[in-house]
Amino acid sequence: MDIISQLQEQVNSIAALAFNTIGTMQRDAPPVRLSANYPEPPPSANPTEETAIFSEQPKLMSAALVKAAKQFDALVAALPISEGGEEAQLKKIADLQAENDAVGQDLQKQLEAAEKELKLVQELFSQASDGCLNLKMPD
Amino acid sequence: MATATYPPPPPYYRLYKDYLQNPKSAPEPLPPIEGTYICFGGNYTTDDVLPSLEEQGVRQLYPTGPNIDYKKELRSLNKELQLHILELADVLVERPSQYARRVEDISLIFKNLHHLLNSLRPHQARATLIHILELQIQRRKQAVEDIKRRREEAQKLLKESLTTLEEH
Repeated sequence: MDIISQLQEQVNSIAALAFNTIGTMQRDAPPVRLSANYPEPPPSANPTEETAIFSEQPKLMSAALVKAAKQFDALVAALPISEGGEEAQLKKIADLQAENDAVGQDLQKQLEAAEKELKLVQELFSQASDGCLNLKMPD
Repeated sequence: MATATYPPPPPYYRLYKDYLQNPKSAPEPLPPIEGTYICFGGNYTTDDVLPSLEEQGVRQLYPTGPNIDYKKELRSLNKELQLHILELADVLVERPSQYARRVEDISLIFKNLHHLLNSLRPHQARATLIHILELQIQRRKQAVEDIKRRREEAQKLLKESLTTLEEH
């Protein structure tokens, strides 16, 4: 895939990681005490297992997010953009077209000369073979 | 059983009855449309250009100008994005009802990122064209060299055959 499409894919994956992270955190967070007036929230059914899984998730997900962001930076560094902008590119295209035309005409001339020589050789060959046939005595 | 008849073809075919005998008796095809046209009730345009962010009503976060330093802007937008995600996480912990503004900011940054990347496409198209032209020049030069070499070989062979014939 070309570099710009890769960059676009990377942006989309950063977006997906971001909303997955925030969404999972929000969905799975255990209830917390809001104010001194309300009592402590009741303990959940499997406290130790859930809290263990739950405290691992933000670390893993944020690590993935940071890794994706670093990869984006690496891709940006790999962009083959040369300075000079649009005008420099258009000028280069015009130069290359001129050179292409010149080389094309060169090629055309060589081709014509080669075809002429080919005709000549074919003519000579047919004359030589006619001469051979006429000189050869039947056995 | 539902029988839906297809709409009939446009009736212009009758104009071309004698086309084989007299190609000029039938009308010419229309010239291609330029500008905007309506297709199935929707407006389309033949001018394919990336609409600027202001036209879409989105605030532009990176500076405009003739030559934008794409790498620098992309990197700074990436950093901004990371900061905003962190801010969102903070806001959800402390003041959860104020998430909307932060989410809007994050989506604004994403829109800017994608617009920047899309505006790189014309540059990529020109670079591809340059590459193709260079390849073509290289191929043509190679062909010229090949033809020259073959002609020289043929000349050499003819001279050799001439000397062989003169010997006999």
